[in-house]
Amino acid sequence: MTELLQFSLCLLAFNCFALAKFNHYRDVFKARPSQKQSQQFLIAAWISILLSLLLCVIKHQGYGGLLFCGYMALSVLLLMIFYSFKPSWVKHMSVLNVVLLLLSGSYFVVY
Amino acid sequence: MKESFFRSMTWMHTWVGLLVCWLLYLIFFAGTISFFRDEVTLWNQPALHSIQAPQERIAQQREQIIAGVDYLKATAPESGRWGIYLPTEREPQLNYAYEKPRPEGKRFGGWQDHYINPTTGDSLQQPRETKGGNFFYRLHFDLHYIDVRTARWIVCFASLFMLVALISGVVIHKRIFKDMFSFRKNKGSRSWLDGHNVSSVLALPFHIMITYTGLITLIFMLFPYPAMTAYDDGVRGLFNDVTPTNVRTKSSDVAAPLTPIDSVLDQIYTNWPNADLTRFSIKDPNKTSATITVRASTGTLVRDQTPTMLFNGVDGSLIAKSVDEYSSTEVFYDSLTALHTGRLANPLLRWLYFLCGIAGCIMIATGCIMWAKRIRERMKKDQKASFGLKLVEGLNLATLMGLPLATCAFFIANRLLPLSLTQRADKEILAFFIAWLAVALFSLFKRAKMQWYLLAWVNAVACISVPLINALTTKGNIVSYLLNSQWALFSFDLVCLVCALLFALQAKKLRTQLHTPTPTTRSNHVTKNSLVEQKA
Repeated sequence: MTELLQFSLCLLAFNCFALAKFNHYRDVFKARPSQKQSQQFLIAAWISILLSLLLCVIKHQGYGGLLFCGYMALSVLLLMIFYSFKPSWVKHMSVLNVVLLLLSGSYFVVY
Repeated sequence: MKESFFRSMTWMHTWVGLLVCWLLYLIFFAGTISFFRDEVTLWNQPALHSIQAPQERIAQQREQIIAGVDYLKATAPESGRWGIYLPTEREPQLNYAYEKPRPEGKRFGGWQDHYINPTTGDSLQQPRETKGGNFFYRLHFDLHYIDVRTARWIVCFASLFMLVALISGVVIHKRIFKDMFSFRKNKGSRSWLDGHNVSSVLALPFHIMITYTGLITLIFMLFPYPAMTAYDDGVRGLFNDVTPTNVRTKSSDVAAPLTPIDSVLDQIYTNWPNADLTRFSIKDPNKTSATITVRASTGTLVRDQTPTMLFNGVDGSLIAKSVDEYSSTEVFYDSLTALHTGRLANPLLRWLYFLCGIAGCIMIATGCIMWAKRIRERMKKDQKASFGLKLVEGLNLATLMGLPLATCAFFIANRLLPLSLTQRADKEILAFFIAWLAVALFSLFKRAKMQWYLLAWVNAVACISVPLINALTTKGNIVSYLLNSQWALFSFDLVCLVCALLFALQAKKLRTQLHTPTPTTRSNHVTKNSLVEQKA
């Protein structure tokens, strides 16, 4: 479950990085992002990615660093597929990502 | 060299990459399969498929070692070496092996294995002779058929070129991070460039790590001079110094009873209370020169050297033990080796390594295809292709489509070759190289889209044949593996089916392209940014 939390955070981070970009935001929401929105996405992305890295390293030490690199690769691959082939699915994917994040986060906090 | 820094880097990236791309593809391809070396070996040995990993694996190890020593004492008292290979999560079988009599002039006679189901304790049928995943592992850096030392030098140079290409690639592809999630399909060269960029950037830390650590694993061959200066016997002296368990004892012919194994085991478990032992081997059993070597797993520690203990086989005293605390230099070297081999990885990380390895293969493949494609696009209508272009196109087809077919041929040969065939393992490897050679000869004649299309279908059929032939020749199939939770075998068949699907999609795409006229100009789909990059 911790691995799911780490991966969800990483995926969320890269999703935010993508949405901070004009063209990807437009593909998903059919509108222009404001300067403020882009900045908010960037801040969320950096917080999320650092949290993911932190969790990986706290839980697995050096091995966690390797896992984190793998999560990054998988996240970028998934997002590249969604943004390039099915941008309309990004909203659903983002909702699923947040749900998984909340579930795994709750499990992490409780247990 | 060109005038500006950017142009120089572009020139270097192109030529450094192109010169060794086919060799790098082979190295990456074989290396990626090697991450699942044990699983591939398991698939290649149907006799071991019925084994399930025992529940109390570590708790059973003591009894398994005692039973193993008793078995070997009774079966091969005169053998020069005994080995007890304990079940692990990836290799669930228990193996009591002993060395066969050494042929005249040879230092080792080969192992006679006796496999046991650790759950039931039953002896298993002798598995078929195969190299399994070890073939791909050795191919990755020994290149087969080539002298080992020469092959490793070649691989080192290719890795060095790869490292240069990676760094220069980050410099020249200015927009790789900006276009990280962009893949523009059906845009000609732009799509190939996007594929190249995305596959590079998504696993960039992995690509740099695996290339750099690859060089580090062979650093003592590349740069032995400090060790040669400090030690009389060079690198061997260095390794003996840092590895206390590398003690060589001279074999004796004088008989002496083996120490009680219980006393040795007591010492092991006193030193390592929760040890997960992997191997228990005895050299010169029942002789005065007997030694016992015990190895334990490192688990998920980023460490390649396994914890080892060496005992005197006659009096049971501890001769040497691997150090628990490494110096910073040892930690650096050992952890980099561990990162490269990925032996530390649990299934999740192993799949992530595999994914990154595939990304590496795609990066190399798209790079070399793109070079040929751009030269073709720049040619005038009536211009003839140069020898260099033909060579690159031929090597592209032979390598990129030949290697997957050769791999399928290896697995199909594993299932179809008669079990009684002499040197069966070598014949499987021969099947691999014959299939590859056939594709190479095929690509000698023509290298057009039609040939890619035909080979895509051949590869799709070959990939789907692997699980099909497996289902027809063994008791298991992909459905039974799923129902029995045999994940290694299930994943193997599933990967073959996915590859078959991808090759079929490739064939379908190529068929569409074959029926549409080729654009005569390249300007249609080229953006301003890509033009800068296309100047390569």
